[in-house]
Amino acid sequence: MTLEPPNSPEDELDAAAALELVTAQQRDLERRMVEGLPLILGAWAIAWLVGFTMLWLIDGLSPAFRMPLPLAVVAFVVLMAGALIVSVVVGVRMGRGIRAGAASAWTGAVYGLTWPLGFAAIVVLGNALIINGMPPELSSIYYPTASTTFVGVMYVIAGGIWQQKPSVALGVVMVAVACIAPFFGYPAHYLFFAIVGGGVLVLATIYSAVWIRRGRRGAASWNPR
Amino acid sequence: MTDLDPVIHAQGRLRITAALATLDRDESIAFPRLQDLLGMTAGNLSTHLRKLEDAGYVDVTKTFRGRTPVTYLALTKAGRRAFEDYTDTLRTFLGGMP
Repeated sequence: MTLEPPNSPEDELDAAAALELVTAQQRDLERRMVEGLPLILGAWAIAWLVGFTMLWLIDGLSPAFRMPLPLAVVAFVVLMAGALIVSVVVGVRMGRGIRAGAASAWTGAVYGLTWPLGFAAIVVLGNALIINGMPPELSSIYYPTASTTFVGVMYVIAGGIWQQKPSVALGVVMVAVACIAPFFGYPAHYLFFAIVGGGVLVLATIYSAVWIRRGRRGAASWNPR
Repeated sequence: MTDLDPVIHAQGRLRITAALATLDRDESIAFPRLQDLLGMTAGNLSTHLRKLEDAGYVDVTKTFRGRTPVTYLALTKAGRRAFEDYTDTLRTFLGGMP
């Protein structure tokens, strides 16, 4: 479709087509800029589903079955580290060719560095509690709950900064998961994290994939590719 | 509908301007990434960008990343305003809220 020059007899059709082109182009771009998002969410979904199930299997099915503790912990750490690596690699790839100005760079840097700051604080606080007599069962409740609360809050903040409602929603659900899980007690709380936390991440993966695909299909008529 | 900006009111340049308007005000995008996102040929994109740059709507910054030259593009203040005026005019013409 070619647009008519201004003042042509077909001005009305022309205006509608132009506005549709603007909308389709911006919708397509918005989605293509984050097309790696389902990959990132999918990696975390797998890490949560499998990782927390491994931790649950340490005592969850005893005495019928006991997952060796070192195996479960190593699997959990490897899965979480793997998801983190996927996030960084895909995130960098999504941001390629975009140069942030001073204000965006500052926001991104402060937000990015808040992640290690928060996790460091959780670990140090946990160690301080252990030194002050926190039993192992309680520390197995504390670490995932504190971490998940922090992750949820960071998702809410990200949604606020970059104006993404789904991120706010995911964050709120994560905080709720973190707050409800401890009521199941050890080791059932691990299964709750795996099924509900992991399940929410699976839904977020599907939602983001559908959102990206649907928006792109709408723009296809304008895109010469 | 008499005051539609002729610089923006052409399919190629409208797509480029709409795309650049999605960036934050202090962000810019490298030429190859924009080319990839828009699915335009380098020649086509360059031609349209030159017209937008001549009108003062697009800021073209040539820099180096290591030893590789990179061209970054962003809407100027005037370009962003022109795009907003353009879409407002369309919406007003179509009977919607500006």
